[in-house]
Amino acid sequence: MTLDEIQGQLAAMANAGDPTFSQFANDINQIVEQAKSGQMSGAEVKEILADAQRQLAILEDASQLAFKETLNTCINGLITIACAV
Amino acid sequence: MKKLFVVLITLALNGCALYDAYMMTGYDPNEYRIITEIRTDAYNYKHQCPNKVMSEANAMLISDKTQLFEFYSEQIPGNDNGTRASKNLNEIAQGLKTQYQNGTAVSPLFCKLKFTSIENSAAVLQHVIAGRPR
Repeated sequence: MTLDEIQGQLAAMANAGDPTFSQFANDINQIVEQAKSGQMSGAEVKEILADAQRQLAILEDASQLAFKETLNTCINGLITIACAV
Repeated sequence: MKKLFVVLITLALNGCALYDAYMMTGYDPNEYRIITEIRTDAYNYKHQCPNKVMSEANAMLISDKTQLFEFYSEQIPGNDNGTRASKNLNEIAQGLKTQYQNGTAVSPLFCKLKFTSIENSAAVLQHVIAGRPR
């Protein structure tokens, strides 16, 4: 896959409308543009892209936590109802 | 009717996801405080990246705080997702500290992107920590 193809895919994701990942794809595309213009060293670009992977992992864990929180609220609500019946 | 509800809920809790959700870690004001400090620091520090002396000092300060957050999170029972996320956040901050410690020139753009990554990730974690059962 060439750099242009990767940037094309990122641009497509950025325009896909997903509120979280569209912004994320757009940010990565900007990093690639800044790397191409020589504003960062190769090692710095590598580290920033590794950060993007770490941020994705954080988003995944946060999403699971948010799901559990909603489920917890529902379970406690059911227990309250059960105790009141 | 009441017994039926209790039995149904007890049976449902055998499901692993439901059990995890029921037993999940509650709201911890100390955890919330630390993640809010990390987010605020990163927000302020990203504007100081053009100043090399200050940005190096800031990198050390924030990496200490993300390390504190990781250590604090990892011993909280039933907090697997939180622990993993705190480790990733700390790795982002340690990466900036390492760049300065290596003695290589750190570009202001790299510094700004690092603090922005920390700020954004801390905001995501702050949101879920605030939403924990109280």
